[in-house]
Amino acid sequence: MSRLKRKLENAFDGNLPSNLKLNENFCLIGTPLPPLEKSKDTGEFVPLWKQEVRDEKGRRRLHGAFTGGFSAGYFNTVGSKEGWAPSTFTSSRGERAAHKAARPEDFMDDEDLAEIRESQKLVDTTEEMDLTGGTQAELARRAGAGDGPKDEITSALEDALLPTARDSVGARILKKMGWRPGQGVGPRVTWAQLKAQDAQSSSLSSADASKAVAPEHEEATKHTYAPRDTKLPVFTRKTNNQGIGYTPGATLHESTQGTAKTGPSISAGFGLGALNEADDDDIDIYDSTGGPSRATRLAYDVRDVEDDERPTLGPRRPNIANAFKAPQATSSEPPATFHDGRRVISGFVISSAKVSEDTLFPLPEIPPGWKPDPTRVWKTDASATTPAPAAASPPREGNWKNTITAEQRGSMLGETPLPAAPRSVFDYLSQKDRDRLRAMASGIVGAAPPPPVAIVVPTVEPRIAQAALKGFQPFVSDPAKQARYTSYLRSQVGGEEAEAAVPLTPKPGQSNEAFNQELAEYANAARIFKPVSGAMASRFTSAAVVEAGPKAVEGLHQPSASSSSTGPGTGTGMVEKMRLEDPPKLQAAKAGMFGPLTHETEAWFPARLLCKRFGVPDPHPDGAAAEAAAQAKKDKETQFEQETKRLAADAVAAAASSAAADPDGDGEGVGDGRKKDLSNVGLGEDETQGRDTLTYERPAMDIFKAIFASDDEESEDEAEATAAPGAESATRPAIKAETSPPPAVDEPVDLASFRPTFVSRVKREGKAEDAVPKDKEKEKKGKRDKTKSKSKFSLVSFGDEDGDGLEGPAAPPSTDVEERKHKKKRKSKRASERGGADDDDGMWVEKEVPQAVKPVAADVPQAPDAGARGRKRAIDFL
Amino acid sequence: MAATSRGPTAVPRVLHQTLSGHHGSVHVVRYSKGAATYVMSGGQDRSVRLWNPATGAEIKTFKAHGYEVLSISIAHDNTAFASSGGDRSVFVWDVATGTTTRRIPGHMGKINAVELNQDASCVISGSFDATVRVWDLKSQNRQAIMELKEARDAIQCLHVGPSEIVSGSVDGHVRTYDIRMGELRSDYFGHPVTSVVPTLDGQTLLVSTLDAKVRLLDRADGRVLNTFAGHVNGSYRTRACFGHAEASVVAGDEDGRIWGWDLVDATPLAPDPPPAVHSKVVTWVEQRPNDPGQLVSASADGTIKVWRLAA
Repeated sequence: MSRLKRKLENAFDGNLPSNLKLNENFCLIGTPLPPLEKSKDTGEFVPLWKQEVRDEKGRRRLHGAFTGGFSAGYFNTVGSKEGWAPSTFTSSRGERAAHKAARPEDFMDDEDLAEIRESQKLVDTTEEMDLTGGTQAELARRAGAGDGPKDEITSALEDALLPTARDSVGARILKKMGWRPGQGVGPRVTWAQLKAQDAQSSSLSSADASKAVAPEHEEATKHTYAPRDTKLPVFTRKTNNQGIGYTPGATLHESTQGTAKTGPSISAGFGLGALNEADDDDIDIYDSTGGPSRATRLAYDVRDVEDDERPTLGPRRPNIANAFKAPQATSSEPPATFHDGRRVISGFVISSAKVSEDTLFPLPEIPPGWKPDPTRVWKTDASATTPAPAAASPPREGNWKNTITAEQRGSMLGETPLPAAPRSVFDYLSQKDRDRLRAMASGIVGAAPPPPVAIVVPTVEPRIAQAALKGFQPFVSDPAKQARYTSYLRSQVGGEEAEAAVPLTPKPGQSNEAFNQELAEYANAARIFKPVSGAMASRFTSAAVVEAGPKAVEGLHQPSASSSSTGPGTGTGMVEKMRLEDPPKLQAAKAGMFGPLTHETEAWFPARLLCKRFGVPDPHPDGAAAEAAAQAKKDKETQFEQETKRLAADAVAAAASSAAADPDGDGEGVGDGRKKDLSNVGLGEDETQGRDTLTYERPAMDIFKAIFASDDEESEDEAEATAAPGAESATRPAIKAETSPPPAVDEPVDLASFRPTFVSRVKREGKAEDAVPKDKEKEKKGKRDKTKSKSKFSLVSFGDEDGDGLEGPAAPPSTDVEERKHKKKRKSKRASERGGADDDDGMWVEKEVPQAVKPVAADVPQAPDAGARGRKRAIDFL
Repeated sequence: MAATSRGPTAVPRVLHQTLSGHHGSVHVVRYSKGAATYVMSGGQDRSVRLWNPATGAEIKTFKAHGYEVLSISIAHDNTAFASSGGDRSVFVWDVATGTTTRRIPGHMGKINAVELNQDASCVISGSFDATVRVWDLKSQNRQAIMELKEARDAIQCLHVGPSEIVSGSVDGHVRTYDIRMGELRSDYFGHPVTSVVPTLDGQTLLVSTLDAKVRLLDRADGRVLNTFAGHVNGSYRTRACFGHAEASVVAGDEDGRIWGWDLVDATPLAPDPPPAVHSKVVTWVEQRPNDPGQLVSASADGTIKVWRLAA
């Protein structure tokens, strides 16, 4: 595959004479066809990384991150050649007033603006089309059914301040036709018609309306008026799950009372226009008030208005007017009413039998001189001799079941108890056995007291007891108990402490069991409250008083006048909580000798930001804080060491006192007696673990170079290294260089026998410079004359040997680094031509292992075997 | 000594106004900065109130705290203030809008004292958790700039100077963190320190402790220049302050009296003992800075009283 590819590449490589034919032009007359590349298929698949994004004008849109990013320069973006170069700062302080808020358009480029222009159509589809003349909120506002009652001033202010709701299209058209908000729609009407409308809207009867038509002013009849506005029904949103028309919390009477309807009830739903005739379907079939003539009803009740006086929007329909002349039918049966005058719900009749009523009983007569005494009830309960009379505690309806058991009720009623199953084991025993048992029990009780329980003193390890003595004292609040605790601990410590301790005996009146319990408590306390050992303990401060806090009182809080003051939390506990200061300071403060004793000054390192915020230069600039931190750390470390030492000493002492076998153990049972120190933390129990890792020595640099260095470097190093025979290996003493001048200096070296050694550059430099004697320098000078060239960069000890050493005869002297590099390349080529094996053998020798070399250090010719070994090793590394 | 020009040494004792709007005790009352026309108070009822002490009118109530308000500090330009209390957060308020601009949590206990620094770029809070923390108001960093943990008990009071922070703690120490010197100077009093008020020259410090003593501390060497005693103060934080021109020392006590002492000879000013003007402990007294004759006192009986000199 790759071979084919290469062949193809070669075929298209125009440089080769054999491939010239492919691009040859055979056109003799006319214009040649465009070259093959131009006629490329535009729809051809191009891999993603080859695709280019171009805008509509064919300009490149995306550039590399380092060539300008998204759109570089002013070709297609920012309008400056520099692209996103920062503009110079100009203060807008002077023209604050002129400053206006930036619009989004200010940040848009041509494309975005074009997009916007496109999207701005004549009629915005996204605009809210408010066909109903206002949003719901607006409607609610207009109807005055907003949140809470609004006074007039508020609503007027709101009208003035709030932005008006957007008019619907219809409203706008109407406005253009001369309609004003607040007016009804339709032709202007006369005064009489207006009055009729008013009457109609206020549900007056037509007769009243006709009376009211009489004009107040003569002038009034001379004008026409805009018709009254039709009131918009405002529907409240239904948010509950109750049935339609159900008012929560209303009683049966209330719910039926207010719904005395005048007209037919139209069934809930939509689709019935104001002047449409209500069909049978539309009329609520559950409405029984309608009677027989429920048909031909209008949703809009306009029955008594004269037809000509009635302004309508649509075409007139005189035929319906007559339909309303018919009087509204009422139910034929006489209206039944309740005794309080309310009408009976249609479809229902008044029951002759009475529904059960709440019977009210008169209060029982309280005997004179009776006082409520709830304790009496408890007493009777406690004695339980006679059940409380039923009259005294009438069982409450509903929960009497829970309070009275069958037996209780039975005993209340005076029943003889049923023979129940025996409850106790003793019930199964025969009467004789029971008697015998009773006799035995009485004999035991009466005969002799139980044998005294032996005092068992729980033992606590001396070490723990010792520690607990020093540690937290749990019974500070009870000094007597604390004293007993201390003496117990002392007795457990053993030694002279135990002798000094008062032997612990039961308190007078304390039983042995109680004493045992007490001792067990002490032992537990000692185990729990032994101090956190050693280094940990120093990090905690034990409080002076622990059990001195306020005692919790059981039960509800009883407020008292004295405790009602609510101070800012500086309770009396503060004084007790105060930690004891070191004596001199405390004594001075107590004596009122405020001054040097109570005044302390120490260094403090404020945060840099704090200094900045306070506008103060940092008092400890450049790392004083760090210094202090280091100091503190050091202190801490030493403290830690001290602690560990102390701990160890303590442990030893404790172990000794407890006559432990292992003198070096830390009390935790480490078996091997090896002392743990910080250096072997984490190594587990294996001492030798990781030792080889720690003692591992990094192999000499030459090995790495021999393996990993590139060809160029190799040759370079080779050049240096081959010149190195005179230079000392790192381990050789410098004197050797003086005593044994480099053998390669004067005589030409035999390639077969010569083995250079590798020396790290740094060492070489140092060593060579202080080791190379003056005469050597002179020699070099001489050689420099001879070679006429020496690289400025090459090292003193090698530059000449570049010419004179191994490469001397082969390579011409070079004057600068570049030339040298060229030379190296050539050299390497030559080397490769010469053949790898030979080259390797001749050139590369591993630096000897120091111990092995030292005796033969000055002997360069002895190197070969070492070299062979070294090479092997290098391969092994691979 | 501070008071070179001795002003009138009388303590204002004529009741001018009683500001009673707080329910429960009033813990702190502070004069506003500048002309000190207004006072701001915080109390157990979780509100901060702004008053005009001249007319006795309550101007505004700031409510956002969920617990009692224990300390208030007003910024130099009166546009903002910081308050703190039982809800373990420092609230920084905008005075005009009455809303909190920052709520800085971080303390482990209730914050007894809060102070803004001179240009209101930092707020320093001292808490029951025995730390003083410095919060940066210029950045939105939620971490404290610095935490001063030297105190071993609750911090009760703070004073923030131009280049220093002074804290008084229940462990009996007054600690001065000198930022300019990079030094911490601590003075031990042996009793919980409830208030620290420096003189204007910054040389001395008025320290009241719970052993019912108010001491004038020479800050240079920790000597006590004068001790003012006679009042009752064993349990509650009552702030002591200097009278006008630092000629006298005024402190409330737990019997509801307001005591006055001559600064130099430390004798109680007449009447001795002063009458009990509050029914409970006086939690805070503050002398109006530029007016010799006005003093406000707050008390646990829920009132703030404005006192004036007899005309």
